Amino acid sequence: MIILSDFKRTLSIENVKQWFFKTWPIFPAMFYLMSFLVIVLFYLIGLSLNHPCSEINFPTFASFTELFKNEYFNSALINTTLFMILGTPLELITGLFLSFLIFRSFFMRGVIRSLFLIPLALPALVTAMLLFVLFDFPGGHINHIITGGYSWFPQVFDQPINWRGSKLFSMAIALFGKVWRDMPISMLILLAGINNIDPELFDAAKTMGASFRKRAVHVIMPLMIPSISVVLLLRSVEMWKEFIFPFVLAGRYHLLGTLIDFYYNEIGNSHMAATVSIIMVICIVFSTLILMKILELIQKLIVSR
Amino acid sequence: MIISKQSPISISRRMLWFTGIICALVIVIGPVYLLLKYSVSDINSINTGGNPVPMWPYNPTLQAYVYLFSDSHFYQVLLNSVVISLFTIALGMILGIPASYVLGRYKLPGRKVLLLMIISVRLFPDIASVIPVVEFFIKIGMHQTYLGVILAHTLLALPYIIFIGAGAFESIPDDLEGQAIILGANRFQTFFKLLFPLAMPGLAAAAIYTFLLSWDEFIFSYFLMLGKQEIYTLTLYLNGIKYAEPQNLLAAISVCLSIPVIAFSFMVQKYMVAGISAGSVK
Amino acid sequence: MADVVIRSLFKKYGNHRVIENLNLEIHDGEFVTLLGPSGCGKTTLLRMIAGLEPIDNGELFINGKLYNHIPPQKRSLAMVFQSYALFPHMTVRKNICFGMKIKKLSKSEMDRKFEWVINLLRLKELENRLPREISGGQRQRVALARSLVLDPEVLLLDEPLSNLDAALRETASEELKRIHRQLGKTIIYVTHNQVEAMTMSERIALFRFGRIEQYDKPRVLYDSPATVFSAEFIGSPKMNFYEGEIEIRNNVAGIKTDLAFLKLDKEREKTIFSMPGRKILAGIRPQTVYYTGHLLRRRYTDTEVEILAELVENMGDRSLVVGRTEAGTLIRFIITREEKIDQDKRMKIFIDGRRIHVFDPITQLNIFR
Repeated sequence: MIILSDFKRTLSIENVKQWFFKTWPIFPAMFYLMSFLVIVLFYLIGLSLNHPCSEINFPTFASFTELFKNEYFNSALINTTLFMILGTPLELITGLFLSFLIFRSFFMRGVIRSLFLIPLALPALVTAMLLFVLFDFPGGHINHIITGGYSWFPQVFDQPINWRGSKLFSMAIALFGKVWRDMPISMLILLAGINNIDPELFDAAKTMGASFRKRAVHVIMPLMIPSISVVLLLRSVEMWKEFIFPFVLAGRYHLLGTLIDFYYNEIGNSHMAATVSIIMVICIVFSTLILMKILELIQKLIVSR
Repeated sequence: MIISKQSPISISRRMLWFTGIICALVIVIGPVYLLLKYSVSDINSINTGGNPVPMWPYNPTLQAYVYLFSDSHFYQVLLNSVVISLFTIALGMILGIPASYVLGRYKLPGRKVLLLMIISVRLFPDIASVIPVVEFFIKIGMHQTYLGVILAHTLLALPYIIFIGAGAFESIPDDLEGQAIILGANRFQTFFKLLFPLAMPGLAAAAIYTFLLSWDEFIFSYFLMLGKQEIYTLTLYLNGIKYAEPQNLLAAISVCLSIPVIAFSFMVQKYMVAGISAGSVK
Repeated sequence: MADVVIRSLFKKYGNHRVIENLNLEIHDGEFVTLLGPSGCGKTTLLRMIAGLEPIDNGELFINGKLYNHIPPQKRSLAMVFQSYALFPHMTVRKNICFGMKIKKLSKSEMDRKFEWVINLLRLKELENRLPREISGGQRQRVALARSLVLDPEVLLLDEPLSNLDAALRETASEELKRIHRQLGKTIIYVTHNQVEAMTMSERIALFRFGRIEQYDKPRVLYDSPATVFSAEFIGSPKMNFYEGEIEIRNNVAGIKTDLAFLKLDKEREKTIFSMPGRKILAGIRPQTVYYTGHLLRRRYTDTEVEILAELVENMGDRSLVVGRTEAGTLIRFIITREEKIDQDKRMKIFIDGRRIHVFDPITQLNIFR
């Protein structure tokens, strides 16, 4: 309960002392976070502007130029971009699906909502492992299902598919795992958004005779733009960062995250790994900025309509 | 009579909604069921030699668990996970509680901004910050040590601890603190006799959250411990045997890894839901 | 026990001046109420006396000692908050003993004081309950007990009755008065409720925009309000106000208003005789207007007005009548339940000239003070 006015705005040694005396408990934690931040930035920049060849001196963009010529990197960059472009809307759609199912109160709603949180409560690595087992070749559940092993599902393929051996399939499974695990997060953000809408608005729309679909499109959706934006922004960042699912499920095909692991732990080239890390951060910043611009435009469009 | 007029539409909509709920529940619970099924399956019902794997537990057996708990390495791994997460909680709390006290109780200028900045540290990709941390730890000789992993996990947990803790301290009415001061309590007495006990539920949630984070953590553990089997945690152990072991064992380890997480998650559900809804906690 | 003296106190929040050049003297053992609308700075002043808010400028003396820089922990005063601020994780007993434990009193002393206070405030059998398990009135008494056990020199009360329902409020206020009589402590009481202030306190400091508008005994505040604001704030229903000017008719001075030519008592008539033409704001309390039914009570100072009773509001023991003169001027007045007035009835009323309040419309001050 120490109030703003306790702190004089003027800078004098006495005041700085007083400030420190009152706020010292915050400093250990701040120091801890700040020093790691400094270490991270220092090493990232230091490593990426260097090159393992001893002839090339610091600072150099040699690591960057080499990387851009590299086939691994280019495919990882494209994969990650696609992963982000497909995954972000998928997370939104699954979140919308779940939140629309349970936004009204009904019998056992609390229990159902808790059950919907299960994917989040399961460690990501466990989910990845489970998919690893289910999509096993040739003897996993999924292969048995599609080759007609069970009476309740028609035979789709003659031969079992080597899921992890195919770039497309392994990426798709990784994406599936990621989206499955994150469903509850999107759901909760969207539910919070729905709950912030004044219920009288629904009733007003109802009394005006709007059908359910019209209500959803013209009343609920526009009011949910803020929470939808939050979902898209946060989830797109998460997509760029993704590591565990592709690491377990698509070991042979890289995203930016797994490429860092590949360079660092398999090739032992910390410069390349740091360079990829920096590029990942740059990608996140740019994609966030672009997404924000797009969302702003959409918002304007909806308001003007 | 009006009701009967409307009911055909609402019944069909209700059916649609009900189907949706069932589908969602199958999608959400199905994989968990399969995980449990695998963990209690007989090894012969997995290596079927081309026949379909049964959908129901066939000859349910605990042989995977029995095997697991007779393996001394597994105990070591379990112990490692517990020790690392407990020390992470301790360090995280020692650093985080004082900071969240200041951010929650003092009406400092720019307090909200600072909190937002602290929590958005977590938007920085772990996989991008791991290389510098590992390089630094190699330099100071903390690579492949318990301490290194604990420090890294604390780094990940600290923003959450501060965020949840600051919320817990902030929710205590100012009048209570004013009253304690007027009754003669100094700053430390006010903290230990009043604020700390009242913030306890929130701080406990932060501690559980830290435990979950450390218990689940993979990226930093993997980069910091790779190659040193004695200090492996559960996640690393599970990853290390994914190509080698029978699937029922993988599932059994997964279940062991998940049980405390699921139990604690539902314990702190309230705080997690509030945090996620505000778009802050992952 | 102690007296409190405040000299030219200032307080600002940013650019907003909460308290401006405030002077206040409270005698030893006095029960003083700080009364005013919300946001007038009365609670801020209380918190400054308690030491919870720093003093920007000015001096605060308690018992003759300068208190400006004494930390709240060392000021020997106690405060009861509007919310009662009971510690929710402690039992009633622990709440009451909190301050004594901090001050490291001996066990026997603590027990003795605890027994004394729970007898005084009738809190027996509640000692092991938690605050959420007791009623609002009991909470208020626990908060009071927690303050009283420390034997403070000054007791600060911040709207302690505002969270109680009407029935409980009366008992609680009687109890407070009893305790004040019994212990003789200096009490500073903050409220926005004028009835509480009028019934309980020995003196009232009426606040407006961070200044003290008037500081007087309740009776004086009611009978001779120093300013228009005082006149308006104290008393219910609100006073009627009429703009006018002093005029002399038939060698008698009075106030010409839209309502009527108002006569005053002889003493004041003499004073205004010397200032014809002066602009005046005249205030008439609804209680000082009589109805023709009381012809016997008429005096030569009464002004007769003919009105049409537009609205009669029944208030139980009395009724409020809104009347309109032919010229369209409104007047509100009170009649007792025995007097019956029908709506839309023409009637004569009489305004008691002895109790018309006369203000200067520019300075807003009572010109007879």
